[in-house]
Amino acid sequence: MSELLEVKDLSVSFDTPQGEAQAVRDVSFSLKSGEVLAVVGESGCGKSVLCKTVMKLLPPSAKIKSGSILVNGTDIIGYQERDMCKLRGKLFSMVFQDPMASLNPSIPVGKQVAEAVKIHQKGLSKKEIYKRAEELMRLTGIACPEEHMKWYPHQFSGGMRQRTVMAIALAGNPKIVFADEPTTALDVAVQAQILDMFKKLQKKLGMAVVFVTHDLGVAARIADRIAVMYAGKIVETGTAEEIFYDARHPYTLGLLRSLPMYAEPKGELYTIPGMPPSPLSLPKGDAFACRNEYALKIDYEEEPPMFCISDTHYAATWLLDKRAPKLPAPYR
Amino acid sequence: MVRYRLLDGVKKVFLFLFSIFLLSAAVFFISRLAPGDPLVSYYGERVERMGIQERVWAEEKLGLKDSVWVQYIRWLGNAIRGEFGISYKYKMDVIEVIKGRIGNTLLLGGVGFCLVFLLALLLGIFCAWHENRMPDRIVCTLGTITSCIPEFWLSLLFIFIFSTNLKWLPGSGAYAVGKADDWGSRMEHLILPLTVLVVSHIWYYAYMVRNRILEETGTDYVLLAKAKGLNKRQIMFHHCLRNAIPSYLSMAAASVPHVLGGTYIVETVFSYPGIGTLSYESARYKDYNLLMLLSILSGAFVILCNMAVQKGAERDGR
Repeated sequence: MSELLEVKDLSVSFDTPQGEAQAVRDVSFSLKSGEVLAVVGESGCGKSVLCKTVMKLLPPSAKIKSGSILVNGTDIIGYQERDMCKLRGKLFSMVFQDPMASLNPSIPVGKQVAEAVKIHQKGLSKKEIYKRAEELMRLTGIACPEEHMKWYPHQFSGGMRQRTVMAIALAGNPKIVFADEPTTALDVAVQAQILDMFKKLQKKLGMAVVFVTHDLGVAARIADRIAVMYAGKIVETGTAEEIFYDARHPYTLGLLRSLPMYAEPKGELYTIPGMPPSPLSLPKGDAFACRNEYALKIDYEEEPPMFCISDTHYAATWLLDKRAPKLPAPYR
Repeated sequence: MVRYRLLDGVKKVFLFLFSIFLLSAAVFFISRLAPGDPLVSYYGERVERMGIQERVWAEEKLGLKDSVWVQYIRWLGNAIRGEFGISYKYKMDVIEVIKGRIGNTLLLGGVGFCLVFLLALLLGIFCAWHENRMPDRIVCTLGTITSCIPEFWLSLLFIFIFSTNLKWLPGSGAYAVGKADDWGSRMEHLILPLTVLVVSHIWYYAYMVRNRILEETGTDYVLLAKAKGLNKRQIMFHHCLRNAIPSYLSMAAASVPHVLGGTYIVETVFSYPGIGTLSYESARYKDYNLLMLLSILSGAFVILCNMAVQKGAERDGR
């Protein structure tokens, strides 16, 4: 199967008054059509920036420093706003974290969905457009869409709003959907519903999804493959099974260990010591070294390359080098 | 609900009348405290040749002999009956005097107001569109400069350049002598005052529009609109402007007094025969009755505008 989206050596920086903030560093990943990739990491590790970079939705202070973004083999890195407009919604679209803020408060939701339909399906009559919008809203699980279309966003609950945002995202039949923590702002019960609906739609429509989350549980529920990000880099990538049952990077292990299911009954939850480094001043060597209990001397000197574990499983840690000391597998 | 509305309406009317009452009292007492001789505006230069007896007689005739309190109560009693007295200078009913002038001011103020707000909207959109790029920066700098120039100075400058030196446009009046019904002549006389009015007010509002729109473009829904494939023009006009305009309109209504004040100044410098010039004259020459009615009219207009804004804000359910 050919790659639908291929990102190579992508680096993105922000110009800030304090200097250059490296948000994304040398990130490479690929996505096949119909596949769900979860991007997991702490807040501020560059997950959202990564998605917004591919869609070119970054604020003007951000700069793409290097890399290429191949869509079906065509590099879109140099595309200007005009060209991107044609791709957005059709090739890829996005669902944002905060459903409250991502709908225009003064326009009825139905009209906002219809607007998206109108751009992508030229030549439809007004009636047909609204019919299609209604269909989309029903698809994403909004009850009585013909009635709810006339409502304003503030009359909707968080879940309904997020469903509307999804309907908008699906309006152009995109091949890729970037979901930027779509369930984070919702309460747990609604989270599960939305997630299931999302998964179902993904299967039904056969689109590829890049699902950004900081919640490994959510990732486990939805993802085929997982990429773990730390300080702007992908530190480990593999299939969901490989990540959950055979994690190699100490950071991934740390994340897994901090899940409540691994905690002793009534014991404290595990936490990774320390704080992620500031993107303004990244340390020499491996950015995770100072929080890593298995850190080697070389971790403070040189950044580890991606070591191949299997065809699909890669991790960036010196522990995988053949010269590294053998630790009891897998360092647990 | 209906009852509540009614009660609210009664309250508003009462508040309005009370404000007008306070305003009239303030203007009445302050104008009498200010130095100057009201007899001059009635009798002109003859006052200088008047003997003491004549003066006393004249003051008695104009009702200026009594204490200020008595004068005010008498004025109030007459005013409630709709009699505002005569103008000392024009020696006719003040209502008639104002009637002859108000059309000119409405023309200048109305056209000026519409121009200021329309152009400010366009300029604001233009700046927001080119946010922080060259065109925006140039307009921002120019705007800040022009908005700092005092109106009277700009008026004088314009008169000096376009009227005195270049002789392109008339520098005073509302129409050429005997051409009150000639719209061409009126337009010609409007150009300079209007330009001053627009130049000195536009940036304040354009800048607000600009920032209001930029506030909108920074929100998440714009990001979603982009993500679904809308282009910049569609986002600007269908989304951002839609949310920015209601607050702009209420601001426009609230700023009527601001532009009105500007009109008065411009009128005075251009000797434009309107309410502004009249107000200035009446205050300068102590034409009490005229001054009272003018202040009350201007005050009532301003209060009504503010009330309308309030009402509008309550109505806007979004």
